[in-house]
Amino acid sequence: MSVKAFELVPAVERDLLMGDKARINIQCIECCGKHLYVGTNDCFIHHFLLDEVTSSKGKLSYSPQKLLHKYLGLKKPVAELRAASALERLIVLCDGIVFLVDMVTLETVPSAAGGGAKIRGVTAFCVNENPVNGDPFCVEIGVLSSKRRTVQIYMVYEDRVQLVKEVTTPEQPCALSVDGYFLCLALTTQYMILNYKTGASQDLFPYNSEERRPIVKRIGREEFLLAAPGGLGMFANAEGASQRAPVNWSESVLGATVCFPYVVALDESFITIHSMLDQQLKQTLSFRDGHILQDFEGKVILASTKAVYVLVPLPLERQIQDLLANHRVEEALILTEGAQRNIPKDKFQILHKRILQQAGFIQFGQLQFPEAKEHFKKGQLDVRELISLYPLLLPASSTFTRCHPPLHEFADLNHLAHGDQDKVLRCKKFLISYLGEVRSTEVANGCREDVDTALLKLYAEQDHESLLDLLASDNACLLADSVPWLEKYHKYFALGLLYHYNGQDSAALQLWTRVVDGDLQDSTRSDLYEYIVDFLCTCSNLDHVWKYADWALRKDPTIGVHIFIKRPVSTDQSELKPDDVVTYLGKHSQALLLYLEHLVLEKRIQKEKFHTHLAVLYLERVLSLLSESPTDEEQLARARERLQALLRESNLYRVQFLLGKMDKYEQLLLERATLHGKLEEHDKALHILVHKLRDFPSAEAYCIWSSSCRDSAYRQQLFHMLLGVYLDGNLSGKSQTAAGGGSGDLEMAAVDLLNRHGEAFDAVRVLRMLPDGWSLQLLRPFLGRAVRASMHTCRTSQIALGLAHSENLQLLHDRLKVQKKPIFVSEKKGCHLCHNTFTEPDVVCLPGGVPVHTRCVAQRVRDSPTKRQLTNSSKHT
Amino acid sequence: MPELSKMKKPDVKVVLLGDMNVGKTSLLHRYTERKFKDTISTVGGAFFLKQWGPYNISIWDTAGREQFHGLGSMYCRGAAAVILTYDVTNWQSLAEIEERFLSLTDTANHDCIYAVVGNKADLTDPKAQMYQDSDVSKDQTECGEARTEPQVLSACPTPPASPASLSGMILHKQVTHEDAVALYGRILRYKGLDEKDSLPAEKMCFETSAKTGYNVDTLFETLFDLVLPSILRKRNENQRSPTVDLEEFRGGSGKRARSTCC
Repeated sequence: MSVKAFELVPAVERDLLMGDKARINIQCIECCGKHLYVGTNDCFIHHFLLDEVTSSKGKLSYSPQKLLHKYLGLKKPVAELRAASALERLIVLCDGIVFLVDMVTLETVPSAAGGGAKIRGVTAFCVNENPVNGDPFCVEIGVLSSKRRTVQIYMVYEDRVQLVKEVTTPEQPCALSVDGYFLCLALTTQYMILNYKTGASQDLFPYNSEERRPIVKRIGREEFLLAAPGGLGMFANAEGASQRAPVNWSESVLGATVCFPYVVALDESFITIHSMLDQQLKQTLSFRDGHILQDFEGKVILASTKAVYVLVPLPLERQIQDLLANHRVEEALILTEGAQRNIPKDKFQILHKRILQQAGFIQFGQLQFPEAKEHFKKGQLDVRELISLYPLLLPASSTFTRCHPPLHEFADLNHLAHGDQDKVLRCKKFLISYLGEVRSTEVANGCREDVDTALLKLYAEQDHESLLDLLASDNACLLADSVPWLEKYHKYFALGLLYHYNGQDSAALQLWTRVVDGDLQDSTRSDLYEYIVDFLCTCSNLDHVWKYADWALRKDPTIGVHIFIKRPVSTDQSELKPDDVVTYLGKHSQALLLYLEHLVLEKRIQKEKFHTHLAVLYLERVLSLLSESPTDEEQLARARERLQALLRESNLYRVQFLLGKMDKYEQLLLERATLHGKLEEHDKALHILVHKLRDFPSAEAYCIWSSSCRDSAYRQQLFHMLLGVYLDGNLSGKSQTAAGGGSGDLEMAAVDLLNRHGEAFDAVRVLRMLPDGWSLQLLRPFLGRAVRASMHTCRTSQIALGLAHSENLQLLHDRLKVQKKPIFVSEKKGCHLCHNTFTEPDVVCLPGGVPVHTRCVAQRVRDSPTKRQLTNSSKHT
Repeated sequence: MPELSKMKKPDVKVVLLGDMNVGKTSLLHRYTERKFKDTISTVGGAFFLKQWGPYNISIWDTAGREQFHGLGSMYCRGAAAVILTYDVTNWQSLAEIEERFLSLTDTANHDCIYAVVGNKADLTDPKAQMYQDSDVSKDQTECGEARTEPQVLSACPTPPASPASLSGMILHKQVTHEDAVALYGRILRYKGLDEKDSLPAEKMCFETSAKTGYNVDTLFETLFDLVLPSILRKRNENQRSPTVDLEEFRGGSGKRARSTCC
C-alpha cells in the first residue's frame, strides 16, 4: 500500500457554489477544457472557468472563476450534463427530458424547424466517445427510456436530435456505455454487451442492479469497467471476455474510472486507487459525502454534494521514486514498464534505465546481488556509479562524477554496510564478479581504464588469483594509480607485469630482482628467478639483457646462461652476437663453458675460435682437477671424457696450440695421441698409445677412428703401422731384456690385432713382416681368414670377369641387331664383282650390304693388297 | 509478476475452475513460483502470463466462492483449456464440478480441452506425499507447516492438512481415479463430443499435490502442449483478418520488422 499516486485538489468550494444554502446539492458535473459546468438539484447550471495555478513549490491548485449560472426552469434536479464542444452545446438531462443549451450563454436551444431538440422520458444517456459515424458536427448518444425495454441511439446536432436506431433489450436497462456499435448495458439482473448494428448480444455476468448501483464505464477501445458482485471491478471487452484480472473494491462503490495505470473508485467515504498492473490497492484517500467520480479527457473530477475536487495524478516519475524510496522495487518497475505506452519512446527509455539502475542499487544495498546485477545490466548502468561506492577504487585521474540526482542514498560502501566488514567483503566480491563480466562488454566503453584499474585494486586487495590473468592479458589499468596499490599489497610480481605491459621493462626487472634478492616480499611466484631468466631470454631490449644477465649469472650461472642459450632465433637486431656473449661471459667461467658447449655441441657453429676456446676450457678444467690433491677421480674421468670427445670430434680447433698446452702433462697421453692423430702424425700417436700407455684397445680404436672417413687403403695403412709398432717393439724388446714381460704383451697384442682385424691387412705383407718363430697355430684365425678372403676375392673376380664377358657379348649382339638389316641372296641376284648369279648360300658382304661371291672377294683381295680392310663381314643364310 | 506489466497479448487462455478450497490458486502458485505458500481465498480472479516457447499463455485462476460464480462464464469465454479441479478428500467438490462449473464452460472455445484434476493427493497417496519437487526441496520445510486455506464453512469441509500430513497419516480418499474418469466421460457427453474423437480420459485425468508439487508440472505442461494447435489456428485466423494489430508490431517484434524491411 501507500503509493502516493494522486492528490486531491479542491477546485470549486462550497461558498462559490451555493453559499450557505443548505439544501442545494451538486447533482452532476461536466468539464471541458477549462470550463466546468455544475448542475444542481435546484435546476441551476453553474459555469466556471478553472485555471490551474502552480505555486513556486510546484504545488498545483485551481482558481475557479464563476462565469455564469442559469436556472433551467424545470424545478427538478439537473441529472446529467454532457458537453458537445464541437457543437458548442451542453446536452442536459433534467426531469426526464434531454435538451440542449448553449455552452456559453446557457440558453436553452430552441427546436429547429422540422425537428425536435428534445427527447422525453429519458432515465439516462451516454455519449459515444468512439462513434462509428465520422461526422464531427454531430454527437452520438445512447438513451435509456423510463418505460420501454429499449436503447435508442440518437444523433445530436447543433439544434436538433435525430433517432437513428432503437434496439430492444431482454430486461429494463438502467445504465449504459457505448463504444462503436457496442452498447454495454446494466440490466436489472445482469450486464450484457449488445451490438446495436447487428443486434448480437453477449451476456456478461449476473448482477442485481436493484440491490447495488451498477457501474458501466468505458475505459478504452471496446473495453469496459463494471461493478461486479462482491465489490469487484471487472473488466470486460466487447467480445464478452475479461482480459485483466479484477480489482477488489468495497461493496458500496458509487463511481469508478481508469486513469492509467490506476483504477480509481469512489465509495461513501473513500477514494480507492488500485493498480491495473498488479490489482493491488495502492492508495486510499478519505473523501466524505462523495457522490460523483468522473474523468473528463483524462482529468479525474470528484464532487461531494457541496464542492468539486480534482484528483491530480502525481507525475509518474515521482510515484516511481516514492516506491523506490520505500524499497518497493518490483512495484516501481511494474509501474514504469506499465506506463510505457503513455510516455514517448525516447523519454521512456531514459526513465526506464534510470529506474532499473535505482532498483539495482536498492537491491545492491540489500545485498541481493543477482537481482541487482540483472537490473544494472538491463539499465546499462555506468559501472563507475557502482565503482564510486567503493572508496579509492576509481583512479585519481578519473573524470567521473556521480549522476545527479543520485541513483542511490549511499555515500560509500562503509555507509551502506554500517561498518559491517562481512557485508563490505560480500559487496567487494560482487563487484569483482560484476566488473569481470562487464569489462569486455560495451558497458565499459569509454571507461575501460576506470574499470580495469578498479578491478586490479580489488584483485590485489582480495588476493584474487585473476590478478595475474588481468595483467597478462589486454588491459587498461592505469599505471600511476595501480603502483601504490600493488605495492601496498606486496603484489610486486603483478606490478612488474603491469610495468612490462606499459613498456617499462626496466622497472619491472628492477622490481623482480629485488624480490628475488629478498629486499621485497612477494610469494606470488616461487620460481621468480627462472621467470626473470625466461623474461630476459625473450626480452627484445638488449640493454636490459646485458644489464640483468650479470645479476642472473651471479645467482645461478647454469640457469642464468639460459638467457643466452634459450634465446629464440630472430632475424632483427635483437639477435645476440655469439662473440659478444662470449666476451661478456668472460667473468662467468661456468656459464661461458655452458654457452660454448651450446654453440659448439648443440648449434654446431663451425668457428675455430669457439672450438679452440671450448677445448682450452675443457683442458683447463682437467688440468685444474689434476692439480688438486687428492684428485677426484670420478670428476677427472668425466672431464677428460668430455675433452677427449671434443678433441676427437671437432676438426676446427688449433691442434698445435693445444698440443703445446698439454706437452708437459704426462697424464694426458691419450689426449695427445688424439691431437697427433689430428695432425696425421700417426706414428707418434701410436707410439704414445702402444709404448707409453700400453693401451692396445685404444690403439686399435684410434686406427678405426682415424680412418673412419677415409678409404680402406688408408685404414690398411694405419693397421699395418700399428702392427709395425707392435712388432718393432717386440724386436727391440727382445734385444732389450730389461723390458721383460712387456715384449710378450706386444706380441700378444699383434696376434690379437691380426686375429681380430684380419680383413684390414694385406696378408702377404703381414707374412713377410712376421717373425719366423711364430707358430702357425697362433695365427690360425688370421691365416684362415686371409686364405678364405683371398680365395673369396679370387672367385669373386672370376665371377665378375665372366659376368662382364657375357655382358659384353650380349651388348655386341644387341648392337648388331640394331645396326644390320637382312641381306637378301637369291638365284636371281647377281654378284657385283663377277655378275654371275649365286648358286650357294655362302656369300661375302661388302660394306653397304652388297653380297658377292666368296671367291670373287678372295680374288679381289689377292689382286689389290691395299684394300684388305674389309670389315663387318658375316655369313647369312 | 513482472510478466503482467508488459501487457503482452496472450495467445491462448487456460482457466482453472472448481469449488473453493480445492487448491486452484495453490496449483498455479506451485507451477509458477515453485513453492507452496499460504493463499487467501481468491477474490474475483487473477491471472498469470506464462511464456511457453514463443507463445504467451494466460492462466486464469478463478474464485471458487459461490459469490463470484457468475463471473465464471466470462473467464471461460474463448478458453482453449479448462482445468476442472476437485479435492480428492472431498466427494462434494467433484460433484460441484458437474453441478456448478460445467455449465460455465459453455462459453469456451468449441475445441476446448478439459482436464479433471484431483488435488491434495498428498493427503491420500504416499507416493504424492513423498514426492520432492526437485527445484525447491528446502521450501518443504519452510512452508510445510500448515495448509492454511481459509476455513470457510462448507458442506463438506476440507480436512486441515497439517497434523495429519506431517505425521504421515493417510486420509480416506473420497474420490477415486475411476470417479474422475467417469466424470470426464460425462463431460464429453455433456459437450456432445464423441469419446473416440476426444482425448482419452487416462490422459486428461490427473491427481496432483500443490503442496509437494506432485504431478503439477505434468498437468500444466501436458495442457500447454495440447493447446498448441489451438494457438496456431488462432494465429492463422489473425493473419487472415484485415486488421493490423499495431500492438503486436510495436511490442517485442521490432527485430522481425527490421529484418523484413530493407
